Amino acid sequence: MSESVKLDRDEVLKIARLARLELDDAEVALFQDRLGRVLEYVRELNQVKTEKGASVKHVPRDAVSIREDRAIEFVDREALLSNAPAQIEDHFLVPTVIEQS
Amino acid sequence: MSLRDKYEAVIGLEVHAQLLTESKMFCGCKNAYGAPPNSQICPVCTGQPGTLPVINQFAVELGVRAALAIKAEIHQESIFARKNYFYPDLPKGYQISQYERPFCTQGKITIGLSDGSEKEIGITRIHFEEDAGKNIHKGDHTQVDLNRAGVPLIEIVSEPDMRTAEEAGQYLRTLRTLLRYANVTDGDMEKGNFRCDANISIRPRGQKEFGTKVELKNINSFKFVEKAVDYEIDRQIRATETGEAIVQQTRGWNSAKNVSEVMREKEDAHDYRYFAEPDLPPLVLSDKWIDEIKSELPELPDQKKARFESEYGLSGYDAGVLTASRDLANYYEGVAGASKDAKTSANWVMNELLGRLNAAGKDIVETPVSAKNLADLISKVQSGAISGKIAKTVFEEMFATSKTAESIIEAQGLKQISDPSALEPVVRKVMEANPGQVAGYKAGKVKLLGFFVGQVMKETKGQANPGLVNDIVKKLLDS
Amino acid sequence: MQLREFTIERVLAGYRKQEFSPVELATAYLDVIEKQNERLGAFLQVDRDLVLAQATALDARKQEVNKLPLFGVPIAIKDNFLVKDWQATAASKILKGYKSPYTATCVEKLESAGALIIGKTNLDEFAMGSSTENSAYFPAKNPWDTSRVTGGSSGGSASAVAAALAVGSLGSDTGGSIRQPASLCGIVGLKPTYGRISRYGIIAFASSLDQVGPFGRSVQDVASLLEVISGYDRNDATSSRAIVPHYSDHLKGASLKNVRIGIAKDWLEGIDDEVRKSFDEAVKLMVKEGAKVVEISLPHSRYALSTYYIIAPCEASSNLARYDGIHSGFRADGVTDLDSVYFKSRGKGFGAEVKLRIMLGTYALSAGYYDAFYGKANEVRKLIQQDFLTAYESCDCIVMPTSPSTAFKFGEKSADPIKMYTSDICTLPVSLAGLPALSVPSGLDSQGLPIGLQFIGKHFEESHLLKVAHKYEQIRGEFPLPSGVDY
Repeated sequence: MSESVKLDRDEVLKIARLARLELDDAEVALFQDRLGRVLEYVRELNQVKTEKGASVKHVPRDAVSIREDRAIEFVDREALLSNAPAQIEDHFLVPTVIEQS
Repeated sequence: MSLRDKYEAVIGLEVHAQLLTESKMFCGCKNAYGAPPNSQICPVCTGQPGTLPVINQFAVELGVRAALAIKAEIHQESIFARKNYFYPDLPKGYQISQYERPFCTQGKITIGLSDGSEKEIGITRIHFEEDAGKNIHKGDHTQVDLNRAGVPLIEIVSEPDMRTAEEAGQYLRTLRTLLRYANVTDGDMEKGNFRCDANISIRPRGQKEFGTKVELKNINSFKFVEKAVDYEIDRQIRATETGEAIVQQTRGWNSAKNVSEVMREKEDAHDYRYFAEPDLPPLVLSDKWIDEIKSELPELPDQKKARFESEYGLSGYDAGVLTASRDLANYYEGVAGASKDAKTSANWVMNELLGRLNAAGKDIVETPVSAKNLADLISKVQSGAISGKIAKTVFEEMFATSKTAESIIEAQGLKQISDPSALEPVVRKVMEANPGQVAGYKAGKVKLLGFFVGQVMKETKGQANPGLVNDIVKKLLDS
Repeated sequence: MQLREFTIERVLAGYRKQEFSPVELATAYLDVIEKQNERLGAFLQVDRDLVLAQATALDARKQEVNKLPLFGVPIAIKDNFLVKDWQATAASKILKGYKSPYTATCVEKLESAGALIIGKTNLDEFAMGSSTENSAYFPAKNPWDTSRVTGGSSGGSASAVAAALAVGSLGSDTGGSIRQPASLCGIVGLKPTYGRISRYGIIAFASSLDQVGPFGRSVQDVASLLEVISGYDRNDATSSRAIVPHYSDHLKGASLKNVRIGIAKDWLEGIDDEVRKSFDEAVKLMVKEGAKVVEISLPHSRYALSTYYIIAPCEASSNLARYDGIHSGFRADGVTDLDSVYFKSRGKGFGAEVKLRIMLGTYALSAGYYDAFYGKANEVRKLIQQDFLTAYESCDCIVMPTSPSTAFKFGEKSADPIKMYTSDICTLPVSLAGLPALSVPSGLDSQGLPIGLQFIGKHFEESHLLKVAHKYEQIRGEFPLPSGVDY
């Protein structure tokens, strides 16, 4: 039931760029095939008659999404910084960023 | 015909205003400026695995206040959405914002222009979002401070209704005044608490279609809003005239060089892959809640101006000047309330205080003369303790030293002499020194009365109560 | 000590009678895990010091055994849950060495109830998979036959309980990740209603579907765990305020008399014969106890697979954006510019299946495709849920096989993603509808592998669901343990 419809290489690379994933050639080939299969399979949804814009309200009706505006200090900020792969002077460290926005 | 007459600019502004909350939009970290790096962070705003957002109630209320201030439509149900992009100051890899269904649409504000006319500017929408952190560039590396990550913002998007740099500047100022009145934001552009991007295009006058728009960023001071917008309009006109096509791009204002520079071409435009934030249910604003917020809404500039006219009997012009900012209006009301003389208070604030503040480059909140001290000064004139002329000298000293009128009058002995028994000897002395004039008066030259009063004032260094001197001189000469 | 016999009640009784202390019991479990884990690959982290520190603290509070419902009960936690001081890798290289800065709400509740956290269990990387073969570290193996998979993604949590390496465990279920491994490992696993248990502290896969749930060797144990971990959490804006019943007390006096059991005939196509046979027998047993069979129709459930494999990857592509080589976890070596921090860290840090799903979600959400994919899938999801709500007008509870087949061999389904995804066809529609469901063992196939029966309830009616499953469990009779578990 899963016919393979290959995606072209550029399409796979474009998605990988959006997702910030480096792929080697073998992975590109693998994803051309696998993405193609899944996308082909899910095309069956086009047959289903649906109400445009409808969606499930997955959150229970009695959930409370609002909290009081009160400052609460998180005491263990060291634990947050120490999980970062690189830090400098209490900052998260990255190679030079060229400002874009 | 100048090139400016040939083309018309079309300008729309996007303003980000930080909300005056105690905590962040989706977590309990403090929302405060200037703390040590990464001292106001927690698992939620640093995007630790497993964390979830919970909406700050007061942030919502401030957003609704903003919507009420611009007379907009408030939606009972709005939806938070994720805006997906990668950047070091964005720890989750997405920003929680609102996209297809913002909580507020279709507002408007009226701006005043230098030619005395007014113009209405439409506001397309206001939506909530969280701020990003800060990338700090250090030459060989960049370091990230997440104190600001998750701070609540509203984004206010205008219609492309502005045609000149002046209109853009006035829109921005009027909007800020409104939001500061409503206590929504402190509106401080220099601290980045109030940020503005402009969408600018030009088209030949008479043409209906919009031209290709350029997004202008980094307008981060009121000082150069007009300059930056004007520069970009001129740049586009020059380019068009020389046959160069305007391309859709993002430019940044370089305030050191006074030019706009390319930041990003359209090809690099992000694909934000918006979708409804599954970690949050829709935001529901009931009528009851909106009414509560409305009832707590501070008085807005228009209402305040009208009240100043009716309650204090001020002219439209005076009321307008005194309500230009909420702080100034509060100051004025402090003076008027304590001095019980609204009109005189208005004159003092407008003619004496504002002039001096302007010259010193200071805001009303930095005034060296407190409202209470100014009211005391006014009362002293009313009670006859000092003359109006001396009051101005005293005020000058108050402005320079922040001292009270009382202490200055005391120290310099400027108190008005209103005691007849103290003044009578002086009058007699002047009469004795000028027998010729006494004779002249008695012979019918009544105009000489002024001469005697003047001499007495001179003798008392202006401290004598002029009315009382007049009476005593008259009494003694006529006796 | 007969660890193989230990249920929650039996452990508590042991403490009360002073047969053993928390430290003694913890040591016994640690020793067995040490011996068995190489064979089973159930645990990713067992930290003797952390376990004994908890046990020692419990030793000092012995008198509280009558107060704390899970006093000293060894519970294993899936490694996509955060527990302070423990690692949380989600079986991914990108979170290797990540030390939890806080504890998940449901685990805090376990700890307040006196539970002893015994270790962090194996899973498919970021819970994406149906076999636990996608663990970046090593696969979990089925205690019934170690050449076969445990199911997934909560394979480690299922294997640990099936092999008596823990009395109970927690897993997460997005499309079947608790129920399917429970079925394949012959134990009970429950996915509650979406919103019943806080998700705060669970590494997100697909936020609108993820739900925490317990594994146990009996419905009774699962009910006891559920009543501890459920409830409103102010840190989770999607958690329900509905009161938490004493599920375990409600089981007493459970009956199947006049319970209307819904069966969707069209849904039984594509189920292996032996699974189907066991299902039919189970239904017959229940009818004998007074249950009434009602034929129902869930016509849109046939699109559940496609719907799920759009919605879940879309949400995942966004949820996994935070693993960027900057804020937490892994950064690739030798990166000198920002782009390479992102591309290489994510390219090397994620495994193939995770990358496939991120790519799928990124594609489906990208400009020009949103309506055709994410939009459409959400519309179909609504129809799938609607079918269930309509069905519940005529029945009290729906029964279905949990998995179309019993445990399969390693590598058997890994080449074709659709073939693997089909393992979840019986559980996916339930997840999309947000309903509670649990899997109870119903028998063994001819190879001696467990078969699971799925009970699906109405929203927030876990109590009724557990009662029906409990009664079925009683009439089914004793279920065996896998061989080799004789400690």
